[in-house]
Amino acid sequence: MSDKSKGLSKAREIYLDSSRRPRELKAAGKKIIGYPCVYVPLEMLTALDLVPYQTCADIKEPVTEADRALPHSFCPIMRNCLDCALKGKNDFLDGMITIHSCDPQEKTARVWESYTHYPYFHFIDMPITVRPEALEYFKGQLNDFRKTLETFTGKKSSTDKLEAAIKSHNQQRALVRELYELTKSSPPLISGTEIVQVVKALTSLPVVEGNDLLTEVISEVKNRTAGPEKKSARLLIWSSILDDTDIMQVFETKANVVMNESCGGIRAYRAGVKFTADPLEGLADYYLNEITCARTFRQATLGETRKDYARDLQSRFGYLKGIIKEWTINGVIMLLVRYCDPFAFEIPSLKDYFESLGVPSTYIEYDYTTGALAPLRTRVEAFVETISQ
Amino acid sequence: MYFAGVDIGSTMTKVVLLDKAGNSLSFIKGPTGPEHRQLANQVMQQALEQASLQIDDISYIVATGYGRLNVPFADRQITELSCHARGVSILFPNTRTAIDIGGQDAKCMRIDNGRLVNFVMNDKCAAGTGRFLEVTAAALDIKLEDMGDTSLKATKKIQISNLCTIFAQQEVVALISRGEKLENIVAGLHDALASRVAALARRLGIEPDLVLTGGVAKNTGMVKAMKESLGCELFVPEEPLLTGALGAAILAKETYLKAVAQGEALPTKSRRLEKATFFS
Repeated sequence: MSDKSKGLSKAREIYLDSSRRPRELKAAGKKIIGYPCVYVPLEMLTALDLVPYQTCADIKEPVTEADRALPHSFCPIMRNCLDCALKGKNDFLDGMITIHSCDPQEKTARVWESYTHYPYFHFIDMPITVRPEALEYFKGQLNDFRKTLETFTGKKSSTDKLEAAIKSHNQQRALVRELYELTKSSPPLISGTEIVQVVKALTSLPVVEGNDLLTEVISEVKNRTAGPEKKSARLLIWSSILDDTDIMQVFETKANVVMNESCGGIRAYRAGVKFTADPLEGLADYYLNEITCARTFRQATLGETRKDYARDLQSRFGYLKGIIKEWTINGVIMLLVRYCDPFAFEIPSLKDYFESLGVPSTYIEYDYTTGALAPLRTRVEAFVETISQ
Repeated sequence: MYFAGVDIGSTMTKVVLLDKAGNSLSFIKGPTGPEHRQLANQVMQQALEQASLQIDDISYIVATGYGRLNVPFADRQITELSCHARGVSILFPNTRTAIDIGGQDAKCMRIDNGRLVNFVMNDKCAAGTGRFLEVTAAALDIKLEDMGDTSLKATKKIQISNLCTIFAQQEVVALISRGEKLENIVAGLHDALASRVAALARRLGIEPDLVLTGGVAKNTGMVKAMKESLGCELFVPEEPLLTGALGAAILAKETYLKAVAQGEALPTKSRRLEKATFFS
């Protein structure tokens, strides 16, 4: 990237060439650790001066190599992500952390280990419920994770270092929330597409550099005169991951996407890690309880979905109510990537919840290929037409 | 004052020209093909010639269909879902549900007061679309347009278990080699397609009046199979391919007259009939 670029243009450059900065850092002696999912506690890497790098899929890349290792009818994002790795796109990595966030993540954990040759590997077994016992178990998992990291780096992961890392990452979360404050106005001051570039850039930068970038972007956006145009709808996109500008453009041709509730948007940044005597306690609590991915089983009262459906919906999706009100959202698109079972199973209840809030919603399924974008565009535009007549 | 709707579907391109009163002056259908998607200008030219009009006479043009972005002279793009809903409602004012089965997709639309309120579409693959009949007709070596009448001669029900277009083709070959009668197989294929589309419509909720459009609605066997699958009466327009283009022309007229009534200037595109180029 050119040294002169700042703020949004810098974010775009990093978005378009996400491995450039990690490669530079590697050349300067840093160790780069890959992770495929936002459930990996990045604070634990930052505390040991390791640079986290999210290995991601590229919709423009036809999957060829991953077919050696994975079936066709399988999460296209994981297939694509692994395909990129097998083609050597992540060959600068010093390690890889996999996690049982969803089944495709767990099933590919072994594949990553068998087919790639990074010096460090670790698998975190993440529980699927938010019961107190699950939290205890997860804490134990993070303790094991700490030990393998210490062995790999030969350094001690002290409480002080962890707390400092938590502080920096919490600052990043606060800055992303501040960025999303800028989409509350009409028209929004920043487009959903620009935010995708910024958030994606964060996943390939050390946390401090990411925070500097966010500060620059926020100041630039607040002071610029030419922002996004006002479109005929203000959308919330709910999805597993939406981190690609080509896909986001499909929505933003006819609408303003003011909230992206996915792993390419606000999901990993919506709350902050609490400071606890043992930092791993706060981390376990945050990653298990605060990240609202469909992979986690939540119920208002355990074993009692039928007892009070409205209360159950509220406990599972209640956080979306505030978002819809504060961002004056007039349409929701539940964007489902084909074969993503955890998100597919949420849709009927989530649709009921949006109905109870009186906000129009639709769900659209697509497979993760550029060929799927034309049919996706028709569905998105037709939905926008129904809510903006 | 004249208005045009241009519907560039995956298989057919349709143009409808209307006058201010909403009378249809001309309509043209032609195959879309790989080249035609760039040649919407030629189909438009034919429609203008038929109506003895010049392109400059057209006050407002709406393009729709998969190729709607490839119409450089169109003033506005509206999806085929909104256009079909509008077009169907002009022909059948009491429509609450419309099903359109085209060459590459099937759509079910819920309509209130002539406007689209909700919809579902088939997934990306060809199951549940006109292509299903096209491909299986080829496997049976009969003409697509003869499929419907052939199915009406069936003497027994045959279950085609596979809804995938490619596998259904294999199943058809297996049925032929077993000595099954052609008309029974063809009827089975119609039932399979109808049940697939009916399931899609039920996801949306079916309310009368129900209208069937799209190229597949020209197939009498399919209309019968759809009635059986849905368990209710359905209406079919005289020209079931044209509802999208008709709706586009109606929406062009409404957009234009509304802007005039409100004294707003409506931006329009250059009226030169030219070929669409990529990156334009």
